[in-house]
Amino acid sequence: MRIGNHTYKVDYGHLIFLTAIGGYVTWYLTNTMSVSTHVNNILLVAPVSVFALLMLLCVVPQCIQRADAAEEQAKPEQYDPLSPKLPTERRQVARMLMLGGALGVFVFSLAVIGFDVAIFLFALAAMAICGERRPHHLVPFAAIIAVVLVYGFKALMPYPMPTFFL
Amino acid sequence: MFDFGAFSDALGIMATSAGSWGWIVPGLIVGLVFSAIPGVSITMAMAIVLPMSLYMDFFSAVVFLTSVYTGAGFGGSVPAILMNIPGSPASYATTFDGYAMSLKGQHNEALGYALFASTICGIFGYLLLLLVVEPLADIVLGIGPVEMFAVAIWGMLLLGSLGSKYITRGLLAAALGILIGTVGMNTAGFIRGTMGIPNLLDGVSPVPAMIGLLAAGQLLTLASKDYIIDAESSREVSLKRILAGCWGTMRYPGVLFRGSIIGIIIGAVPGVGSSIGNLIAYAETKRTSKDSNTFGKGNPKGVIAAESAVASAEGGSMATMLALGIPGGGATAILLAAFMMHNIVPGPSFIQSQKPMVYAIILNNIVQAIALLGVGIGFIYVAANIVRVRTRYILPVILVVATLGTYAVDGQVAGPITLFIFAMLGFALVRYEYPVAAVVVGILLGRMLETEFLRSYQLSGGDPLYLFQRPAALAIVGIMLASLGMTAWGKRKQAKQEAEEEAAMVRLQQEQAVAGARK
Repeated sequence: MRIGNHTYKVDYGHLIFLTAIGGYVTWYLTNTMSVSTHVNNILLVAPVSVFALLMLLCVVPQCIQRADAAEEQAKPEQYDPLSPKLPTERRQVARMLMLGGALGVFVFSLAVIGFDVAIFLFALAAMAICGERRPHHLVPFAAIIAVVLVYGFKALMPYPMPTFFL
Repeated sequence: MFDFGAFSDALGIMATSAGSWGWIVPGLIVGLVFSAIPGVSITMAMAIVLPMSLYMDFFSAVVFLTSVYTGAGFGGSVPAILMNIPGSPASYATTFDGYAMSLKGQHNEALGYALFASTICGIFGYLLLLLVVEPLADIVLGIGPVEMFAVAIWGMLLLGSLGSKYITRGLLAAALGILIGTVGMNTAGFIRGTMGIPNLLDGVSPVPAMIGLLAAGQLLTLASKDYIIDAESSREVSLKRILAGCWGTMRYPGVLFRGSIIGIIIGAVPGVGSSIGNLIAYAETKRTSKDSNTFGKGNPKGVIAAESAVASAEGGSMATMLALGIPGGGATAILLAAFMMHNIVPGPSFIQSQKPMVYAIILNNIVQAIALLGVGIGFIYVAANIVRVRTRYILPVILVVATLGTYAVDGQVAGPITLFIFAMLGFALVRYEYPVAAVVVGILLGRMLETEFLRSYQLSGGDPLYLFQRPAALAIVGIMLASLGMTAWGKRKQAKQEAEEEAAMVRLQQEQAVAGARK
């Protein structure tokens, strides 16, 4: 984006994320107010929501940077565990997203196909995503994980665990 | 204050029931193993073994259950250090420097620091308890919502220590965390933000949310690595280095002492527990350290501060349970149940009439803390081998265990789903450089902040001057402000010194340049 003599870089992904946070906070505030405007209900939620929205407004300009400043920031920094960075290499990002996706399918399928089958399939997929290709390693290891963890957690938990085979 | 006669009787009880000592090691192992599984809480571990204790005599049952409690107090720090997943919220602050040390190949030392800090501060906590079990009860009775609110605010001050690059993003993340922490029905009975989902009436479950947020930042990124620790030479598991870490803990007596005092006081307050104690101890240690800029990057003091507060909080919560009969948290509630199953009701009358037994229980806990050193070294020696397993094998296991752990919280699929939703939120937070830790702290403390704020408001009738009628709250606020003031003053002094040094260097370079030109 070009304004005057300067080129600006807009981080649209960050803007979308901020819009989502802003939307949630606004919805939460209006939901709270619609329940009751009694002080016992809004004592903490209302000021914190307003504060969050104010902070959000302060962050919005950070999504738009002059191109030269953005390049300056892109320089490699020292690793800080309190502010971890995501990998940037395409192959690494793809692996991460695939594993995240597999985790999503896994948690939503637990109650549908049973914990044992879901664990077996997830372990299989996760190992394959992480680079294991040998079937004679994949299948037995995934099966062992499923059996050990299902029986282990069944013994550990006071709650029932829906399973298909075990 | 200290009854020597009762103490000698307690030694007699200890000697005559030597058979009970046999339950210490099994109890410690059960506690260590269960609490090292993320999501499986100390309470659950104790609840599972509670029925076993029914068939034991009273003293053996108490020894067994308190051993589980002692082992579980340390066990949570093992996954926190090795995988950045705290076994329980109490070990959360241990991840900050513990995992950073692991990434640097110092996992042996980090585990040693954590274990020795746990052992020493566990002993210190119980020794102090031996002396002040009665007066501490009076102090705890004087703590009300205003004081609790002040403690929660103190916990939130940790956010200032999390050193985010962008302050505004850190504050936004914290505010979002607090709001998420208040979802559901509040103390006054108002229901907000549940979207009609019954599971959210009790609020967002903090354990799945915490694991999810942390999992996205660290666990999923491991998919692109072959091992948790890259360098092969750093992956070794060395007993010598674990012991070096243990011994190295002794170099920081101030950190141990501060962490212990914070842990005991916070642990003694019912309903607060060690989940705030470790955050406050970490923040205060960082605030008062000269090398505060290395915290979060693998400073052993961070691990020691957090673990010392967790270990000593156990003594604090035992004090409240023994002296008042009030359980400080889930684990002491199980202990209380065990007492009652043997027809013993803890409280002021129990302390008066059964003082030798109270002392014997405390003394046995000191023995357990010492035994933890041996059992713990064996346990971490085995557990540390996790860094030697390729991620393609260990990562699916960690993810499945974490997911099942969130299911184990309340036996509903809502736990794993919460984990996934928060993993996605965590992914976005990391991607756009927001401190994930701020959201976690907000979620952990949000509900407590609202509850205590509301109670304080109701008690004071909205009059802020009510604070001046609460000397304990004033003292907490005073210590907090003094600590903040001293930090600001120290930082200003440090900045001034650095500026002077820089100016001197520039002057020296200019003089050298002039001298060079003259030659």
